[in-house]
Amino acid sequence: MSEAKRFSREDLWAYAAVALVVAIELVVLWRALNPGAGGEYRAYYIDKTTTCLPQPMTGEYKIGRIVSFRPDGVEAALELKPCGWEGPAGDGTHSVGETSRLRFAVDPDAPPLDLVLELVAVDLPGPALQRVRVSANGEGLGEISVPRDPARRVSLPIPAAALAGRTVVDIALDFPDAVRAYPGAPDTRKRAIKLLAAGLVPAER
Amino acid sequence: MLVPLAFLVAGLALRFLAFRAALPGVPAADFAQALCRWDCEWYVRIAEEGYDPFPVPARVAGGNWAFFPLFPGLVGLARLILPFPTMVTATLVSLAVSYAAAVAAWPLLAGNRRAYALYAAFLLAGPFSVYFTTFMTEAMFVLLTIGVFLALRQSNYLLAGVLAALLSATRIVGVFIVFAIVIAMFLEHRRRGGTVAGFIPELLKRPFWLLAIVVSPLGAFVYMAYLDWQLGDALAFQHVQRAWGRVVGNPAVYLWHSLTSFPGAGFLPSTPQQQGLAAVFGLVMTGVLAWKRRLPEAVFSLFCIVIPLSAGTISFVRFMAGLAPVCLMAVELLAARSWLFALALLVLLAGGYFGTFGWLTGYLSLV
Repeated sequence: MSEAKRFSREDLWAYAAVALVVAIELVVLWRALNPGAGGEYRAYYIDKTTTCLPQPMTGEYKIGRIVSFRPDGVEAALELKPCGWEGPAGDGTHSVGETSRLRFAVDPDAPPLDLVLELVAVDLPGPALQRVRVSANGEGLGEISVPRDPARRVSLPIPAAALAGRTVVDIALDFPDAVRAYPGAPDTRKRAIKLLAAGLVPAER
Repeated sequence: MLVPLAFLVAGLALRFLAFRAALPGVPAADFAQALCRWDCEWYVRIAEEGYDPFPVPARVAGGNWAFFPLFPGLVGLARLILPFPTMVTATLVSLAVSYAAAVAAWPLLAGNRRAYALYAAFLLAGPFSVYFTTFMTEAMFVLLTIGVFLALRQSNYLLAGVLAALLSATRIVGVFIVFAIVIAMFLEHRRRGGTVAGFIPELLKRPFWLLAIVVSPLGAFVYMAYLDWQLGDALAFQHVQRAWGRVVGNPAVYLWHSLTSFPGAGFLPSTPQQQGLAAVFGLVMTGVLAWKRRLPEAVFSLFCIVIPLSAGTISFVRFMAGLAPVCLMAVELLAARSWLFALALLVLLAGGYFGTFGWLTGYLSLV
């Protein structure tokens, strides 16, 4: 019996189908290992270099108003929280992860502004003080230390470079001392501070 | 076919009674909607609106990409034909699929009438029947799993491969049934006098066996291709777990933590303990399957337990209820004695009421 007769026409079609399916699966596998997604998606889901995936919040806000991040300010604060927050609970809005963000819509011709934050450290085993590194539109505003009690209110000047021509001010709060609430908790569930109030006020300069 | 039909009707009655008792103020017409809890709501949204783009319109990190498309897609198609709200349509489709699963289980139970009655009662009227009759993927997963093992029993590998492909589009663990298919082929090869070393060359000479193997995970690959097109990330179904705080870890450690999470008060096992016990039940039944040399079922069950266990024991009651080989093994054991059968049937039917009551009142072990 010759080699060619060992396989029927159906067999040859089946081999062709195997080759096609394997080729499709290899292409998909290659794409899975080399994802095309970039930017914030990649940083959060794939590379896991951030715990904060900013959502497209409008930042709707009136300059000069100090917004409560307790339950009484839930409506006003809603559009100011792109990521890294949970709540509000009765004692404020809790940070989750290693970074939290705030967004404030501003007029491009806004006057020099100060960022006002009222915050308190979480009451969990770990450092007594939580360090918070604050930046606005990528410009560093400084580092503050926040105790568990009492709440601390700070006012940080925003550099003119961070405001120039901008229609939003994106505030990043980084928490180098954030703690895991329970053993094995993921980095996206780390805790650092509770935000009680925040706002932008005309600078006292 | 009448036995499952009787349990389908009895199950509907039991769940409706539980619904009236748990939610007396809710109109009877909202029965189907009221049973839609937890993951069900995600499936409703997929059936109605499809998959989330990025950024997620709800402005949260948790997109709905973790939920596989076959069953919500089927309900989405049924919505185009049937003039009912989504949950009514989904309930009808689930009932039909669960009924079909119960009927299809008959040949796998090899004429064991008591085991068959128990399994039909378990699916259609038992404590976890709500999983199989609301909008979850368990009913379809059970039907397709049974279909694959039926096809394997008849050595119809290509059909097994096609059903496996559908299974892999239902839940990600469905891809692991490819190992059951390969083992079934290997066992047949050995029964025919083939050697271990001769299996691969034999496989290469059988293009339809090869086709069955490579087709098995195709459903998952098609979904991955869609995610790649939609998001640029074929593994979005896995990556999105970060938004839920799921961390991959040692399955044994997760199981140990669950089993040792003792309740603060009382004797009733805590929620993690109940979920951990469900995993232990699955492992024990998998051991029995292996001991009975039902290796394809045992290997598939092992994957379906260990892989999800690497993310914790959450939802393990549901996962085990939807793992057909494990539950079929259990009903075979319970059917061994007539008194045990009668007791098990009674417990299952009572559980049909209390399980639904617990589901409706937020009993966390059932998540």
